[in-house]
Amino acid sequence: MDKRKKGILLSLSIPAFLLIFIFMIVPLGNALRVSFFKWNGFSQNMRFIGLENYLSLFSDKVFWRSTANTFVYGFGSTLLQNIFGLSAALFVNKQFKGRNFVRLILYMPIMISGVIMGAIQYYIFSYDNGVLNNFLNLFGIEDIYWMKSGVGSVLIITLINSWQAMGFCMLIYLAGLQNIPKMYQEAARLDGASKWQAFFKVDIPLLMPAITTAVITNLIGGFKLYDIIVTLTNGGPNRKSLSLSYYISLLYFNDEKAGYSSAVGIALFVIIFIVAVPINRYLRSKEVEF
Amino acid sequence: MKTSASGKTKMKEIYAPNQKVKAGVYIIAAFLVILYLLPIYVMLNQSFRYVTDLTPRLYLPEKWTLENYIEAFTSSSLIGSFKNSIVLVAEVCAVEIVLGGIAAYGLARAGGKVSTTLRTFNICIMMIPSLSLLVGTYSLMVKFHMVNKIWALALQTAAIGMSSTMFFYTSFIISIPKDLDEAAAIDGAGIFRTFFTIILPQLKPITVTRLIMIAVGAWNSYAMPSYLLTDTSKSTVILTVRKAFYTAYGAVQNVPLACAMCAVALLPVILLYILLQRYIIEGQLDSVSK
Repeated sequence: MDKRKKGILLSLSIPAFLLIFIFMIVPLGNALRVSFFKWNGFSQNMRFIGLENYLSLFSDKVFWRSTANTFVYGFGSTLLQNIFGLSAALFVNKQFKGRNFVRLILYMPIMISGVIMGAIQYYIFSYDNGVLNNFLNLFGIEDIYWMKSGVGSVLIITLINSWQAMGFCMLIYLAGLQNIPKMYQEAARLDGASKWQAFFKVDIPLLMPAITTAVITNLIGGFKLYDIIVTLTNGGPNRKSLSLSYYISLLYFNDEKAGYSSAVGIALFVIIFIVAVPINRYLRSKEVEF
Repeated sequence: MKTSASGKTKMKEIYAPNQKVKAGVYIIAAFLVILYLLPIYVMLNQSFRYVTDLTPRLYLPEKWTLENYIEAFTSSSLIGSFKNSIVLVAEVCAVEIVLGGIAAYGLARAGGKVSTTLRTFNICIMMIPSLSLLVGTYSLMVKFHMVNKIWALALQTAAIGMSSTMFFYTSFIISIPKDLDEAAAIDGAGIFRTFFTIILPQLKPITVTRLIMIAVGAWNSYAMPSYLLTDTSKSTVILTVRKAFYTAYGAVQNVPLACAMCAVALLPVILLYILLQRYIIEGQLDSVSK
């Protein structure tokens, strides 16, 4: 290909990268700059304080709590979504009447906004006249305060997020399962492998590319979790179920600590890179050709 | 002979599940459907109640009413916010699909070091959590008077999603044989004619899938709109519903009205989902297996 043509082809990507530059790279640079200042977010008064914002991260209990929560949201959701998603895919992959309907229903919550989902789920898990407690009352079980403690809230948020986004994993695995030639399974079964052996020794290795996609997408999604928390717990009780994303926005708009909020933002950015890149590399190395 | 006999029974096991297994399958299917429709039930159940109705939320309302729906349509700002949401979605889709598609064509076909570097850079961009840029983005957008302007939010949203749209399009275009391009080039077609006659017609399935994903994402987006569209007349559907659920200090929350607004807000999304299920589910399955 001649140089001129190549130049024209490459220049086609300029508008897209320009937009990314304006709305992502410039803000990233700006966030980095602001993170070295003490600033309330709106006044003209900005004071350079060097690394102080980053240093105060170490002694900020809410930051560490939110980081731990973010890890639970990331890894917990990934684990649950992959287990549920793979099970659902195996189930929907069976031949039975109405499987397309089940598939349709299982994927549906993904279409619904996290904020709305959190608001509705609140009335299922709430202590006072919640649907789950109503149901347990039928069996003579007393009302349970599901979201009383921080740990309870974090687990319920993880559960709801996994429940809601599970359909994505299901579809990825369904596509993976349908791509595996039937003869491998049959050959293994005829060679005397049990159903489970055939599944773990034949299907799982061949599903590796699907697993990589599912794990990376879920991890990044879980680490960014924001919407559900807003309406389900609003970060409470006492800021104990915050994710880092939510903590960033609270610091900025509630506490008016724009500089510190920026520093937390940069920390989140670094955490996602440190977590996602090696995992991606590891999973890619496990993929087999067929 | 023995082996072939056992092989035969195994084949039978695989292909003809007995009645008991079938009943089990339907029990699991029913359980899953109930588990996934529960929030919808809770929402609809609440929306037909009077505010004073204190029947447990698990059971049907004591007395049914449509007054919440009438109020949702007449006295709330829901209808206006539908218009805002539609404008936002249309703008985000247009910018992201057009710029992303053209850029991907250039990146996929240019080859060489520059395009590889740009594609790696693009994947890194995909991992940036948008909330970590909150301070950087918001303070800049305030400075350049981009608050309460739907077009500005649309550009920002499109920029955040641009990297994944480019990623999907690039992988898709790479899978289209280059021979077709070269044949067109020999016939004297330039870069743009090749794009419109060879590439564009083949992009239809992935474009439909991307359009749906982008539209759903923009429709459901919450974090940035909640900060950038503070003016009630600019509010999107999700913001309006969220506000209806939110209890301000001292204000009495009207849960049935909020649920009715929620139902109205979800209706178009669910209807489109059911109408377009073929494109959404099959499209997802295809794009994953590519």
